[in-house]
Formats: sequence, structure tokens, C-alpha cells
Amino acid sequence: MEIIALCAALLTAVFIGFNILYLIFGRMDRFYLMEAVFVSYGIGLAAISLEMLIFYILGMKFNIPGMMIPWMLLFAVNIAAYFRTKKRFTFVRDNASEKRKGGTLSLFLTFGIVFEIFYAFFRALAKPIESYDAIAIYAIKSKIFYLAKVIPADFFSGIARAFPHPDYPLNIPLAEVFVYLSLGNLNDQLVKIIFPLYFVGILCVLYFAMRRFAGRTYALAFTFILASIPQFNAYAANAYLELPLAFYCLLSALFLFGYLENMKDTRALVMSAAMAALAAWTKNEGLMYCVINTFLVFFFTVAKRKDLTIKDIYRPFLYLAVILIVLSPWMFIKARYHISSDEINLANLNPAYLLKQVPKLGSIFYEFQKQFFGPKKWNILWPAVLFILIVNWKKVSSGVQKYAGISILLAISGYILFYMISYVDVAFFASKTWARFLLHFLPVVILWLAYMLKEDIDI
Amino acid sequence: MKYRILKIIFLIWVALWVAFLIRELFVKNSVSDYAALLSRPLEGKHSYVTGDRLYDFIILCKKDIPEGATYKIVGVEAGSIEQRRITYYLYPRLESQDPDFIVDASKYELKKVKGQ
Repeated sequence: MEIIALCAALLTAVFIGFNILYLIFGRMDRFYLMEAVFVSYGIGLAAISLEMLIFYILGMKFNIPGMMIPWMLLFAVNIAAYFRTKKRFTFVRDNASEKRKGGTLSLFLTFGIVFEIFYAFFRALAKPIESYDAIAIYAIKSKIFYLAKVIPADFFSGIARAFPHPDYPLNIPLAEVFVYLSLGNLNDQLVKIIFPLYFVGILCVLYFAMRRFAGRTYALAFTFILASIPQFNAYAANAYLELPLAFYCLLSALFLFGYLENMKDTRALVMSAAMAALAAWTKNEGLMYCVINTFLVFFFTVAKRKDLTIKDIYRPFLYLAVILIVLSPWMFIKARYHISSDEINLANLNPAYLLKQVPKLGSIFYEFQKQFFGPKKWNILWPAVLFILIVNWKKVSSGVQKYAGISILLAISGYILFYMISYVDVAFFASKTWARFLLHFLPVVILWLAYMLKEDIDI
Repeated sequence: MKYRILKIIFLIWVALWVAFLIRELFVKNSVSDYAALLSRPLEGKHSYVTGDRLYDFIILCKKDIPEGATYKIVGVEAGSIEQRRITYYLYPRLESQDPDFIVDASKYELKKVKGQ
């Protein structure tokens, strides 16, 4: 019975996400079916959690039928739009003749990916939530909300401050509450299914992103590389929020790159901004990706301004506006209850303070090199990235990889800056967090590799 | 040449992938952990990951501390995983500096400090 309720909860999230996706894109002719399903899953869960936050602002208790009303209205609007246009869904399809191609390598890669997926689900569901942050920061909040069937009125002003990091966003804790409500009990083992589903979502989105410019075996090869990174698989199972964040960062980056290639694609721009906002609704680090992506939109709008009309100039502001709209409920609560980070102070972001922090760079780079040469967590990924960067140096500034490259570089710089303005002892902080921070943009790194090597490998 | 190097990198990758999987499953005893976990119901799984003795003590505390009462944890390092787990399992009982109960996690003792 619990399994049926769990499946119903997950399908509800997909259904809601799919309706939002349809609202933005209309016909699904730019998505593969499985890609649309997993994008919908991520959007749906985040939409439900944002809705629960709005319930709190409105002073309403959580109840599944009540929570479904806005989505049923959206569904009705979409149904009306669907029959008015009389256009069926036309998902992108794989080339049938290519499906048969591939041979042994393709088979091996498929086996590797399927194995890693099963392993991630098995590892996640074998244990209830038990790892440090998962229990101390996120699961405790979802337990508080579930037992009260509401975010308690004094949560942000009182109870939250009794637990670590009251400033952390509530996307996943509230998504966990949604699962508990659907199950009818606090099953902190089954709720972990959320996390390997994000893992599969990333693999699926990445695979189909690569299928748009490469063959099946090539896309499988890079998907296998990502799936088989030990650190990536481990974080699919421990109920930390690194992979949900990576999922939204990847989607935001993909739609952003799509927009930067074709500056007329406003829907991709809106989608990228919404995904960046959901990244910030998942973890505070997501705010950095909002800043990076907004910067990229502004920068390339100015860089390409000769080709653009005045009408196009408003698009960077549209990007910022979408982020602010999606994040507004959370920003409202943070402002109302004076919730600020206990790890960093943005006021420290000035040259005089940063200059004083230069000695911290030693610890930051020391911990970074431990990751760089750490095969237990990363296999030989980072040395391979360096090798490919050196031998394909000329390709760095061409095509889509230049956007991905700048995005990765800015993310690394952002984290270094984060360490420099942090209150926490840098040696301790970097040793605990670098390996997790790298996960946030890891799928974009794999995508970048795939772009860089597409002319070198013929499979 | 470049293609050949990339091929070698891929082969090293696969070899390390297999090696680290074997290490994780068999050398780090994950297989025996999973076998123990699979044979237990949810409560048993909680107990296994928390440590059977500590979890039994937490269950006892849950029984003896009324909901809404406060407690203070002693005997474990502040901010340790044990402290976080106790806090998680005991909620809606809350930690306080002016507690109704003392939860001594090193001696597995629960003491009432108010209204005796």
C-alpha cells in the first residue's frame, strides 16, 4: 500500500511539472519523452514545495486535496489550450536505424549505467535517512512540518533557530513532507527515493542533451562516465541536496546555452531563469548560479549587441525578473524574520577584506588538489579534464563549450570567493565541502567534455 | 594519437571503476551491512544505523519524556552525529538549557531534573 502511495506522490509531482512545462513551451516538440518526464519531476517537486511555503504565508494547513486545487486549475487551462490548438504532443524521437547500431561498446555502457542506477536506488532505499546534514538540517525540518501538518507559525522566529542553518532553503524538506503526507506516515526510508530519482534525472537530461549533437554511443559514453563517478553515485543515496541542486543547475545551464546560441528563444531564457531560481530554492549555493547565469545573459547580450534589436535588450532584465518572482515567497520570509547566513557575510565582499583573506588561498587550493588527484571519489576525471583542456585548447573559445567553460570557471571562482568571505575556519570548511561543491557543476563539466571531444571521437 | 590516448584514459577509467566498486562492496564490508539491513524492518534499520544500544536508549527516552517536555543531552560531543540523531528521534521533545530531563548518552541514563 505504501509503495502505491509513493508512486502516486511521484506521479503527481511529474503531472504538475508536466503541466508547468506545457504552460511554458506548449507542444513538447523540443523534448524527448523521458527527458520531459524527469524535467517535470524536478519542476513538480519544487512547485509543490513552493506552494507549501505559500500555504504557510497564507496561514493554511497542508492537505493533499487542497494542495491539488491550483494544479487542477492549471490542468484545465492546459486542456483548453490543447484542444483549442488541436496539436498533439510531438516529442523528439531517436533515429530508429541508429537504435540498432552500437555493438559491444554500446551494450557495455548501457550495462554500466543501468548498474549504477540500480545501485543508487538500492543504496538509497537500504537505509533510512542517517547521514549528518541529511538528519541534522533537512530531515528534522521535514519531521517538524509533517507532525504539525503545517509550517508552525513560530517556526522561522523560534524553532528553526534551535537547529543548524535556519537560513537553508526548504525545497527538499518540504518535498519530503509531501511524500510523508502521501504515505500517511513518517517513513524516512521510502522518502529517500527522491534522491536517486534526481540522479537518474541528471543522467537522462545529460544523455538527451548530448544526443542533440552526437550519436547514441557517444552520448552513452559520457553518461556512463558521469554515472560511474563514485562521489556522484554516493550522493545519490545519502539524502544530501547536492544532486537536486546539480539537477537544477544543469537544466538552467542547458536552457541558457540554448538561449545564448539563439538569442530569440525567450522560452529557453525563462526556463533557464526559473531553473536557476529553483537551484537557489534548493540550496543557498544556487544563488551563486543565479548571479553567474544572469551575468552570462548580460555579458553576451552586450557582446552580441550589434546583432540585436532594442527589443532584445529587455531579456536580461526578464531573466532577473523571473528569478525574483520564483524566489519571492522565500525572500519575503527571509526578510520578514531577518534570516541570514551563519556561514558568510556578503558585506565582506570588498577588496580590502578580500586582500586580508589571501592566506586562506593556501588551504583552499590544498583541499582542491586533494580532490583533483583523488581517484577514490572522482576516478581520473579531473586529470583527464586538464589533459583535454591542454590538447584541445583551441576549441575552448568556440561553440557552446565556451559558455559551459565560462560557467564552470565562474562557479569555481565563486566557491573560492565563498571560502574567502566565510566565517568558518577555512581548512575545516574546505576539507568538508570542496568534494560536495564540485558535484554542483559536475554534469556541466561532463557536457563541456562532450562538446570538446565531439570531433575527436567517432563512435 | 589523441584518439589512442583517449582510449587509454577510458580503459583506465573502467579498470578503476571496477576496482573501486569491488573495494566498496567487499573490502569496506558494505555487502555485510546491506545484508544486515535487508533483514530488518524499518525500526530495526533505524537501530542498525544509529547503533543498537543508543537506539534502544532513545526509544526509552521517547517513552519516558512526554511530548513537549525539554531535555539536555550530555555525554556526547555537542554537534556530533549522535547528538543530531538523538535530537531527530526525540522531536517533538526539544533540547533546552533549562531542561526537564537530562539525557546522558554515555551512560545511557535518563534523569528527571524538574518536579521531583
